[in-house]
Amino acid sequence: MISQTDTLRPMVYTSLFVALITVGAFITIPIGPVPIVLQNMFVLLAGLILGPARGTACVAVYLLVGLAGLPVFAGGTSGIGKLLGPTGGYLLGYLPAVLVTGVLSKTLGKKPAGDILAMAAGSVVVYAAGVPWLKIAFSMSWGKAVSAGMLPFLLGDAVKIAAAAVIAKKIRPLVKL
Amino acid sequence: MANLTLFTFCAGTTTLHRLDVRHKTALVCMVSLALFTSGFAGCLACFLVLSLLTRTIGISLPQLLGQLKWFILLLGIMFAARALTIPGDPVFSFSGIVATKEGLAQGALVAMRFFLVMMTGLLFSATTRPADLKSAAQWFLKPVPFVPEKQVAIMISLFLRFLPLILSQAGQTADAVNARCGNLHKNPIRRIRCQTLPVLKKTFMAADRLCLAMDARCYSEDRTDLEFETGGRNTLSMAAGTGLCLLMVGLSHSSFFKMIFW
Repeated sequence: MISQTDTLRPMVYTSLFVALITVGAFITIPIGPVPIVLQNMFVLLAGLILGPARGTACVAVYLLVGLAGLPVFAGGTSGIGKLLGPTGGYLLGYLPAVLVTGVLSKTLGKKPAGDILAMAAGSVVVYAAGVPWLKIAFSMSWGKAVSAGMLPFLLGDAVKIAAAAVIAKKIRPLVKL
Repeated sequence: MANLTLFTFCAGTTTLHRLDVRHKTALVCMVSLALFTSGFAGCLACFLVLSLLTRTIGISLPQLLGQLKWFILLLGIMFAARALTIPGDPVFSFSGIVATKEGLAQGALVAMRFFLVMMTGLLFSATTRPADLKSAAQWFLKPVPFVPEKQVAIMISLFLRFLPLILSQAGQTADAVNARCGNLHKNPIRRIRCQTLPVLKKTFMAADRLCLAMDARCYSEDRTDLEFETGGRNTLSMAAGTGLCLLMVGLSHSSFFKMIFW
């Protein structure tokens, strides 16, 4: 028999991940037009832990909360201006990224190597959405957009992916979905 | 007010507190969009209005700056990064590092816009009860097909309760780790691991306990919705907000103010 707790749990965990993504967004290092944030690590982790559907719902709620005006985006910002601004592509790219991460992780059996591959694919999706948006927003050349919006973050992303794989391994047994 | 954070609701009876949260959300969107296209003059006008509103709800500017000190530090770094990397006419140089006029201007404008967006967000969260926000989310999402608006609304209200929990768990864990001299580890990865994993574990366990508590109280999606505040003040506030946004955009595109600020 399915208890009420079993139906509440996914909703509560989804909210928890929205909060974690927000906390991650506050830990910001502004190095140029696009800051280094921990937010994307929690976005990818949401895909791993919650799965594709709930992970996507989690990111959608996060974007909705930011759109409504609560200061949840990088550096405590919010609003439609931020979502349509130069870094809006990265924010909107989180939606397909978490979906891809969740689907790949599930397909690859939720193993650490599979998780790393899934998160790497998720990161590629984030850049695929963010870099062209940045290029258009600043009327940059492709080279400049890639060097301002992708290259400085690759090393950090590798560290974040490794950390997220460790966290996923430790957290999964606690999450009863 | 000592515990004011970006998400703290400060009880009050000001017009901002009593404003319909749907109108408030629309106003935040409008100001956010206007800031996106505003120059210095527009930002200055917005700053004056937001400072006045912040004062009205009982938060002084020093208190606000105190709460946002880490964000302001980040804005400072953002300003410096732009000032030193954007090419243009050099203003001063130090040990081969050159700050340009264009970089300083652009850095100041971007930092100011970010600060004002933060102020807008803080005003919104300080004057909006989580329950009102939940009702507004439900109202906005009701016409959207395939979206379970009640679930989304509950998630938003839960999210607002999880944020302080995560921060308090992080604080408690830091104290516990420091008490065991964990902060003296030379390996930074081990130090971060000692901090992060317990916080996440404790937070997930707290989420699980919350599920049980909600179940024990027969929590369901079918709850009585809050009534929205109605009245002339909503129309007036919308008109005033629209006026401010038009002023911000107008000032920023007026050649007189462009000449003064550039």
